Amino acid sequence: MSGLILTLKKELKVPLDASIISPTNLVGKTIDEVKNLELWEGNKKVKINEIFHVEGENKEEDLTIKLVGDFSKARGLGFKMNGGKLIIDGNAGLRLGEKMSGGLIKVKGNAGSWVGSEMTGGTIEIERNAGDFIGAGYRGGRKGMKGGKIIVKGNCGVEAGAWMINGIIKVYGNAGIFPGIHMKGGTIFIKGNCEGRAGAEMKDGKIVILGFLPSVLPSFDIDDIKDSVKVEEEKISGPFYLFTGDLNEEGIGKLYVSINSNPQLKFWEEFLERVI
Amino acid sequence: MSEILIKNGFVFDPLNNINGEKMDIFIKDGKIVDKVSSKAKVIDASNMVVMPGGVDIHSHIAGSKVNAGRILRPEDHVKDFEVKTKVTRSGVGYSVPSTFTTGYRYAKMGYTTVFEPATPPLKTRHTHEELRDIPIIDKGCFPLLGNNWFIMEYLKENKLEECAAYVSWLLNAIKGYAIKIVNPGGTEAWGWGKGISHLDEEVPYFNVTPKEIVRWLCKINNILNLPHPIHVHTNNLGKPGNYVTTIETMDAVKDLSKDGKVSIHVTHVQFNGFAGTSWLNLASGAPEIANYINKNTHVEIDIGQVTFSDTTTMTADGPFQYILYLLSREKWVNADVEAETGAGVVPFRYKKSNYVNAIQWGIGLELALLIKDPWKIHMTTDHPNGGPFTHYPKVIAWLMSRKAREKTLNKINKNAKRRLDLPGIDREYTLYEIAIITRAATAKSLGLKNKGHLGVGADADVAIYNLNYKSLDPSKDYKLIKKAFKQTAYTIKDGEIVAKNGEIVSSSKGKIYWVNSKVAEDIQKSMLNNLKMKFEEYYTVKMENYIINESYLHNSFMLNVQSEV
Amino acid sequence: MEKIINNVVCTVCGCCCDDLEVKIKDGKIVEVKNACAVSLSKFQNYNGKERIVKPLIKENGEFKECDLKEAIEKASKILAEAKYPLIYGLSLTSTEAIGKAVELAEALGGVIDNTTSVCHGPSLIGVHDIGSVTCTLGEVKNRADLIIYWASNPVFSHPRHLARYTVFSKGKFRKERRERKLVVVDVRKTATAKLADMFIQVAPNQDYELLSALRMAVKGEEIYLNEVAGVPTSKIEELADLMISCEFGILFFGLGLTMSLGKSRNIDAALSLVRDLNERTKFLIMPMRGHYNVTGANEVIAWQTGYPFAVDFSQGYPRYNPGETTTIELLTRGECDAALIVGSDPAAHFPVSAVKHLMKIPVITIDPHKNATTLISTVVIPTAITGIEAGGTVYRMDGVPLECKKLVEPPLGLKSDEEIITEILVNVKKLKE
Repeated sequence: MSGLILTLKKELKVPLDASIISPTNLVGKTIDEVKNLELWEGNKKVKINEIFHVEGENKEEDLTIKLVGDFSKARGLGFKMNGGKLIIDGNAGLRLGEKMSGGLIKVKGNAGSWVGSEMTGGTIEIERNAGDFIGAGYRGGRKGMKGGKIIVKGNCGVEAGAWMINGIIKVYGNAGIFPGIHMKGGTIFIKGNCEGRAGAEMKDGKIVILGFLPSVLPSFDIDDIKDSVKVEEEKISGPFYLFTGDLNEEGIGKLYVSINSNPQLKFWEEFLERVI
Repeated sequence: MSEILIKNGFVFDPLNNINGEKMDIFIKDGKIVDKVSSKAKVIDASNMVVMPGGVDIHSHIAGSKVNAGRILRPEDHVKDFEVKTKVTRSGVGYSVPSTFTTGYRYAKMGYTTVFEPATPPLKTRHTHEELRDIPIIDKGCFPLLGNNWFIMEYLKENKLEECAAYVSWLLNAIKGYAIKIVNPGGTEAWGWGKGISHLDEEVPYFNVTPKEIVRWLCKINNILNLPHPIHVHTNNLGKPGNYVTTIETMDAVKDLSKDGKVSIHVTHVQFNGFAGTSWLNLASGAPEIANYINKNTHVEIDIGQVTFSDTTTMTADGPFQYILYLLSREKWVNADVEAETGAGVVPFRYKKSNYVNAIQWGIGLELALLIKDPWKIHMTTDHPNGGPFTHYPKVIAWLMSRKAREKTLNKINKNAKRRLDLPGIDREYTLYEIAIITRAATAKSLGLKNKGHLGVGADADVAIYNLNYKSLDPSKDYKLIKKAFKQTAYTIKDGEIVAKNGEIVSSSKGKIYWVNSKVAEDIQKSMLNNLKMKFEEYYTVKMENYIINESYLHNSFMLNVQSEV
Repeated sequence: MEKIINNVVCTVCGCCCDDLEVKIKDGKIVEVKNACAVSLSKFQNYNGKERIVKPLIKENGEFKECDLKEAIEKASKILAEAKYPLIYGLSLTSTEAIGKAVELAEALGGVIDNTTSVCHGPSLIGVHDIGSVTCTLGEVKNRADLIIYWASNPVFSHPRHLARYTVFSKGKFRKERRERKLVVVDVRKTATAKLADMFIQVAPNQDYELLSALRMAVKGEEIYLNEVAGVPTSKIEELADLMISCEFGILFFGLGLTMSLGKSRNIDAALSLVRDLNERTKFLIMPMRGHYNVTGANEVIAWQTGYPFAVDFSQGYPRYNPGETTTIELLTRGECDAALIVGSDPAAHFPVSAVKHLMKIPVITIDPHKNATTLISTVVIPTAITGIEAGGTVYRMDGVPLECKKLVEPPLGLKSDEEIITEILVNVKKLKE
C-alpha cells in the first residue's frame, strides 16, 4: 500500500508527545523531512528517526500513515488532523485524535483516555477497549466533542461523551458510569451494559442503552415506551423505556433503556400514567 | 552603579509639564539625575517616545479571589502560555495570568508599578505571597474596609478617633496602602444572602447605611492623612440606572474635601454608569456622570473599560457576582470572609453583537472623552473584569483615534450604536493626555512622589516606545499606536533595562509599598485594649497571627504617614 | 530555662488551630495546651525512633550514612538526568518550600504533584466545571444555623472543628448549641453522627443518587421513588426542607465523597446543590481538607503555574490534565523515570501497581521519619519539621493563611524543606547548563 509506515525502534519508557503524527502534518513531506521532524520524549526533544523506522512513500494527497508498535505512552496521536488515515497496529495512548476535524483513525488494539477529545469531525475506530472521557473535553472548558464519530468495539471507561455538543459515540461493549454527563447534544449508543448514572446532568442529546443499566437517576422522568429508536440512520429495535432529564438541569435529553435487558426497572412503568 | 543616558527621545512628563520635547534623560543608581559620566550606557531614543513607567492604579493581580479565578479556569490558561527562558520563569496567561507572567507582561508594556485594589485583610498574607512572586514591577494592595464589622460598630457608636486608630493599626498590621470600599454594607448584607439597593438603606444588624460608611471612612482618611483618597466601588454595580447611585456617592463626600483635595476615587465607573431601567433599554449614564465630574474638583475616577473578549470577572461584590451568575449561568465562585467582606468570580464573554456589552463599551470611552480634565481620569479595564490588561493598547487607540472608534462602532450591535453619544464625539486624546491617565495622574493620586514622572530624584522607571511622535498622526495611524504600546522598545526599572522589544532581558523583585500610619500612642493603646476581646470573638484567628511582619514582604517600601490624632 | 510560646499554629490537620500554647524547657517541648489528641500526639512523638538524623544513600541494597552535600549532589544528579522526573508529596510543608519545589520541577522539566491528587483532587476538578460557593470558617462560627457533615467524621479527623468553627462554637449571631442544627450524612453511624440532630445513612457508593434526589427536592420537583440510596424519600424531603428554611447553611464534605464511586462528579453534584440553594437561602460548601497545608500547596502551585496540582513542565511551560499528569496514573502507566518525594509516604498508601513502578525507579525522599517510602529510596534526606523546627506559611482548609513558628532547634542542625529543595535546585541548574 502507499503511504508511510512508522515502526517503533524501541520501547517507549517516558511519555512521547506524538501530536505531530497525523496525515495533516506529514502529507507532502519527503521521507527525510519526516525523519527530521522533532517531538518531545519526556523533557527532551528528539527526531522522528530516533524513535521510528520510517518507510513508504508520501505521494498521495490523502495520506495513510501506519504505526507499528505499542503506542500506549504516545499522547495526542492524530492531534487536530483534518484528513487522511492514521492506522495504529497496536495500542494508542492518551488523547488520541484530540481536536480532530476530518479523516479516519483506526486502532487495532486498546486506546487510552480522552479519545476524540473536542473533536469536530472525522471518525475514530477502536477495535478493543478505550479509556475514560471519550469524546469529552478539557477540564473546565465545559465543551466536549462537536461532531464526528467514535466507535469502540470493546468497552469504554467512565464519562463517555462528557459535555458532548454533537456527534456520535458508539460503544459495542460495556460502558463505565456517567456516559453523557452534562451532555448538550449528539448521540451515545451503548450496545452492552452500562455501570450506571447514564445522562447525569444532561441538558439535551440522546443516549441509547441495549444492555443492563442497574438504575435510572431520580432526576429523570419516564416519558414513554418506544418500539425502536434511530441511531444515525439505523433503526434499533427495542422495546425501550424512554426517560427524559436531567430535571436538575431543566434538561430535555432522551435516555432510551432496553426493556428486555432491564427487568429491575419495571417499577418505573407505574409512573407512566402520572406523566399524562 | 550603572548609568544610562537616554538620548534624543520625545519626552512626555506631564507632572513636570514636558510635552513631547526632544531631550535627554539621565539615570544613575536607579534614580533620575541631571547628568551622567561618559561611561554611561547610551540608549538612542531618536524618533521614539519616552515616558515614565506606567502606573496602574487598579488591577486584580494577586490574592485569594484572583487565585480562585486561576483555579476555576484551567481552560483559560491552556491556549496562552509562556515557555521558560534563561531569564524568565514559565507561566500561563490570558485573563488570569500566573504571577511570573503577570510581572513580565506588564513590564513588556512599559508598566512599572501596579496596585492590587482589593484584598481582604484576614487573607492579605496570601496577597503578599503572590505579590512577592510578581517580578519586576513595584506593587501594593488596598485592604477592603467597607463591610468591616469593627468599623461599622465604631460608626454606630460614633467613635471616630478610636476607629481612625483602628484603621491605622489595620493598615500597619496587614501592610496595606489605601482604604478600599466595595459595595459598602451590601457585601455584609450578602453574608445573609441579602442585598442593599440604596445609600440610605440600613445594613441588617449593624444598622448603619452605605452613605454613612463612605462618609465615615472619608473622614478617617482625612484624619490619617493617607496618601490616596478612599477608593470606592459603589453600590448597585451592574444595575440599570445605577449612575444615580454613583453620583449620589460622589456627592456624599463633597463637603469632606480637605484643602481642596480629592476626597473620593470612584473606581471602574463604567460598571456603575448605567442609565435606563432594564437590560432592554440600557443606556449610557456617562454624560450625567461626566457633567458632575466636570463641575466638581473633589472626585477622580478610573474607567474600567470593556474590551470585548472572553475574560473573568472578579470583585469583592459578592451579591453582584451572584447576579452575573444568574444572568450568564456560567460557573460561579463565591468566597465570603468573616467580619470583613466577600468575593465572587464569574467567567464572562463580552460580545460586540450583544446590546448590553456594546453599551458598556461605549460608557467607558464616553466617560474618558466627556470628562474634560484628564487629571481626573485613570485608564483601567479593571483587569480582568472589563478585559485583560494586555488589552490596554486597544483602549489607548480608541481614545486617541476617532477612526479606531468608528471601526469598532461599525461592528457593534446596531441598536447600541444608535443609543450611544459616542459616535458624535470628536475628541481625540493626545500622547500627553495618555501619559497623564496612565502614569502621571495615577502616581499623583497614589501619593507616590517618585513615580509617574522623570524629574530629578524620581525612580528610574522609564518606558521608551517605538513611536515617531513628530511624523505620527495618531488619529490615522492608530494601528501604530496599538503596536507601540503593546511592547516597548525599552523598559527600564530602577535604572536597569528589563525589557527590550517585547523580550524580558533582566528580571528583578520589585518592591511592595505599604503605609505605616502613625497615631498617638495612647489612643492606639486604648483602642487595642478594647479591640482585643472582640477581635477573638469575631474572628477565628488570634490577633498576633493576623499581623504580618514587614520582613514577610521581602522587598518592602514603607511610607511613613503621620495622622492628625 | 523555660519559656512559653503563645498563639502557635498547629501543623497537623486542615483546622490549623492557632491558639496552641507551647512550653519549652532546655530547648525541648515539654507541654502543649489547647492541642487536640492528634496534635498532642505529634508534639509528643515527632522525635521518636523513626526520626532520621543523617542523610542516607543506598549502595548495593544497603543504606550508608553520608553528609548532606553528598546526598544533595547524588539526588541532583539523579533528577537532572531523568527524562520525566516526578516531584510528589508537599502537603506537609510550607508554601515557601513548595514554591521552591515548583521552581525545581520547572528546571528539571518534570511533573510536580501533591497529595491533592489522592484526596480532594476530585473536589478541585468539580470546581473547574461548576465553581464553588464558600466562605471562611468564621462565617460559619458567626452565622450558621445549619451545619451538615457529609462523608466526613471530624470528631476523628479534625477533632476541634466542631468546637472552634461549627456546632459547639460561639459566634456573634449564634451563641448557643441549640441555635444550630447538625446533620450528618454517612454510610455508618460515626462518632460525629452520634452528635447529630439528624443522621442520614446513605448506602455505600450511592451518594450521587442521594445528591441528585436532594437537588430535585430543593427545586420542588417530585421524586417518584420511595427510596433513594437507601434513604426514604420522606427523609430526603425533610432534609431539603431543613436546608431551604435555614438562614445560613453549610455543607462540609470529606473523602467519603471524593473517593467513592463517582469521585469528582459526586462533588459536582454537591457544588451544584449548594449553588442552587442560593436561590432560596444563604448556603455554602467547604471541603474538609486533611493535611495542614494541602490547601496551601494548591494555592502556591496555582499562582505560580495557573494550575492547582499535577503540573507537567516537560516542555518548558505548565501543562495540566488530571488523569494524565497526576501521580498515581503516571506511576501505573510506568511513565516516570525518577521521583522526589517530599513529606509523604506513597509506598505505604498507593495502589500496588503504582508502588511496583516506584520501586523500579530511583527515588529521593525528603522526610523527617523512616517510612515505607524511605525504605525503597536511593537517597534519603532528613529534614527539620515544619511548624516545630522550621517556620513558614500554611493555609487553613478555608484558605486563610497563617504563619507557623519555629519553636525549637532541629536536631544536629537539620535543614528545612525549603533549604534542602533550594540546594537541590542550585545543583540541578548547574548540571543542566
